Amino acid sequence: MAKSEPYDVIIVGSGAGGGMTAYSLTQAGLKVLMLEAGRDYEPKTETPMFNIPADAPLRGVGTPDKPFGFYDATVDGGWQVPNEPYTIAEGSEPFLWWRPRMLGGRTNHWGRISLRFGPLDFKPKSRDGLGYDWPITYVDLAPWYDKVERLIGVTGRAQGLFNTPDSPEGCLQEPPPPRAFELAYARAFAKMGIPVTPMHAAVLTKGINGRSACIYSTPCGRGCSIKANFQSTTVLLPPAMDTGNLHIETNALVYQVDLDKAGHAKGVSFVNRVTGEHHSAAGKVVVLAAGACESARILLNSKSSHFPNGLANDHGIVGRYLMDTVGTNVSGQIPAMEGLPPTNDDGMSVEHTYVPWWGYEKQLRKEMSFPRGYHIEIGGGRQMPSMGLGGLLGGDVLTTGDALRDQARRMYGSTMSFNGRGEMIPNENCYTELDPVVKDKWGIPVLRFHWKWSEHETRQAGHMVETFLEVIDKLGGKPSRDYSTDGKKAISKGGEIIHEVGTVRMGSSPKDSVVNQYGQAWACKNLFVTDGAVMASSPDKNPTLSILALSWRSSDHLATLAKRGEL
Amino acid sequence: MSEHHRVDTGAPEPEAAAPATPYRSVIDRRTTLAWLGAAGIAVPALAHAQSPNDREKAVVEGKSAQGYGTDPEMVKPKPAPWPRLMTKAQLQTAALICDFILPASGKAPSANALGVPDFIDEWISAPYPAQLADRPIILDGLGWIEGEAQKRFGKSLFDAAPADRAALLKTLTVKPSDLAMQTPHAFFRRFRSLTIGGYYTTQPGFKDIGYIGNVARASDPGPSPEVKAALDAALTKLGL
Repeated sequence: MAKSEPYDVIIVGSGAGGGMTAYSLTQAGLKVLMLEAGRDYEPKTETPMFNIPADAPLRGVGTPDKPFGFYDATVDGGWQVPNEPYTIAEGSEPFLWWRPRMLGGRTNHWGRISLRFGPLDFKPKSRDGLGYDWPITYVDLAPWYDKVERLIGVTGRAQGLFNTPDSPEGCLQEPPPPRAFELAYARAFAKMGIPVTPMHAAVLTKGINGRSACIYSTPCGRGCSIKANFQSTTVLLPPAMDTGNLHIETNALVYQVDLDKAGHAKGVSFVNRVTGEHHSAAGKVVVLAAGACESARILLNSKSSHFPNGLANDHGIVGRYLMDTVGTNVSGQIPAMEGLPPTNDDGMSVEHTYVPWWGYEKQLRKEMSFPRGYHIEIGGGRQMPSMGLGGLLGGDVLTTGDALRDQARRMYGSTMSFNGRGEMIPNENCYTELDPVVKDKWGIPVLRFHWKWSEHETRQAGHMVETFLEVIDKLGGKPSRDYSTDGKKAISKGGEIIHEVGTVRMGSSPKDSVVNQYGQAWACKNLFVTDGAVMASSPDKNPTLSILALSWRSSDHLATLAKRGEL
Repeated sequence: MSEHHRVDTGAPEPEAAAPATPYRSVIDRRTTLAWLGAAGIAVPALAHAQSPNDREKAVVEGKSAQGYGTDPEMVKPKPAPWPRLMTKAQLQTAALICDFILPASGKAPSANALGVPDFIDEWISAPYPAQLADRPIILDGLGWIEGEAQKRFGKSLFDAAPADRAALLKTLTVKPSDLAMQTPHAFFRRFRSLTIGGYYTTQPGFKDIGYIGNVARASDPGPSPEVKAALDAALTKLGL
């Protein structure tokens, strides 16, 4: 589609939120302009399928240029983006902000774990008095989860577990069988009375919509040239383009929502990251889906006589209630896994099974020292050898020659990595705001972060470590690195799990929220937000599937209002 | 004394029997062009700059090293663009240690045949924090070994008798009680770790360690009955 201003809708961002919004709105016949801050990206030709570490500089290890490794799909991104700084307030705990600069955003490299939030997750305050309830229930979002799972393809199987929703018949694809290490840890967890269940992963085990099934090789984090996993660039944007209703501009870094005299959105201003030229685009509706923090930054930088404190921010809530996922890790070396016959453990690269939170009932009876739960993601098996192998083959006497070769063959694949992913409760000390001094290369004020975990999270992290030590012990193994059972030391840094949400939260009243249940700004009816910024809480379940479901639901509502002429 | 150590000493050591052969760098022309390009060497210098002897010259004349950037070509990666820092002599010492750690064995090639010394050179020459931290550990360690060879044998490590060379390197494999040996041991531990990583991340390394993945499959059948039986036996022993 050629440029045709004013567009019906301008979408800022092309990841899970922006991609789904574009998919939905273009199918509804609306003319859409999508602005993406990063460069164009084509997974079909750019994914390093089957490359091995020896083909890459430094055997592919992570560097400041490519923090998750040379082959990670992320383009021009990481914990720092050149020319686009952010700051941490004095006295704050650390906060890290991961950003890519590419079409499709973080959906290109994400972990593909796709867990529905459960009924309790939408009503946390009603559950235990902490945090804030959502303006919707699980029942409101369930049909949209159904639609998303059918569209993108998600593995899994109904298990009937508490607050871990099953999907209706026909939504999920058959999960692949557990690998040897997954069979092993399941038996240890069973001894502890903790169920292990098939993973819900956005990976196709059966081809759909012209996309191939998984070929059980080459890691998902590189992206997938055969479209076997979910990326906005392979699943959402191509059908949106096929409608003829979508125009995409890349390298377009949006910094402001433009308003008309009445205080309605009339478009956006952006800078071309390559040329440095400033532009504006006109649209009847503006949707922000730039990522929770970037969307908040755009609102805060959109100051006007109507909104001197930033757009839709008279109450000062934009940027508040910033949340991430609680994380920690313990790895163990398990002698029982040594010397198994060679077997192909590549699998679908995402974990085939996981451990959902098992302590809901105990927490409801107030029998645990922390109020919210976590699930466990476990890595292991005979993965493609990496530079990490040298650390495994240490010891007081360093083998060489054939003894080293024997040791390598025996111990390879015998470690397991236990990763907790837990709910964080929003608190007053975690938020973002504009830095009063620092600006980016183009003169736009940058974000300043404030972070402090509460005891709800640090105690949970401590419990994770205790659990992992117990299961490693049951497996007859030993932790392979130093660890701390002190949750304050064990807990991840803010932002480190890359699940930041909550900065433009939804609610049932304009007094204590920025947007309504459809992501529509209370203070500006033709402005919507469809990324993780709208979340009122941050359950342990990874947010992407819920961002997709919420953005589809919001976009559907937006299209209805637009057709009625109500925006 | 660990089981590994007993295995290690129970048979003649091939590394002790083999006379030293000069390490032939497996660095290719494409790589040389890449690091010379990055160093800003003028084109006419290329013809002269391809032997490791000219490495130092390239570094001295060149600009400060750059990384591969935030958007490198991934499908067909270009060679690391930074100039290599090891001298020909250092590379030769590194090769002797690599050959002590992983000599050829049966059908499995040696670390040197896979160019692991060049990989270690690439590693310690890289402009990133983790590799910059390794640089003095590795270069100082190579220097210590050569100094020790001169002290003990009055010869370079290369010219030392094979048995002497192996004996010297062998002293580094055991965690020392002697304070003076802790830095050399830490060097060897790191060097060995880089050698292992460099070796097993190649196709021959995959074959030797028993990694049989990275091949497209129509389905994932899960572990074979043989694997399941072995696992079941191990877990049953643990009472699981």
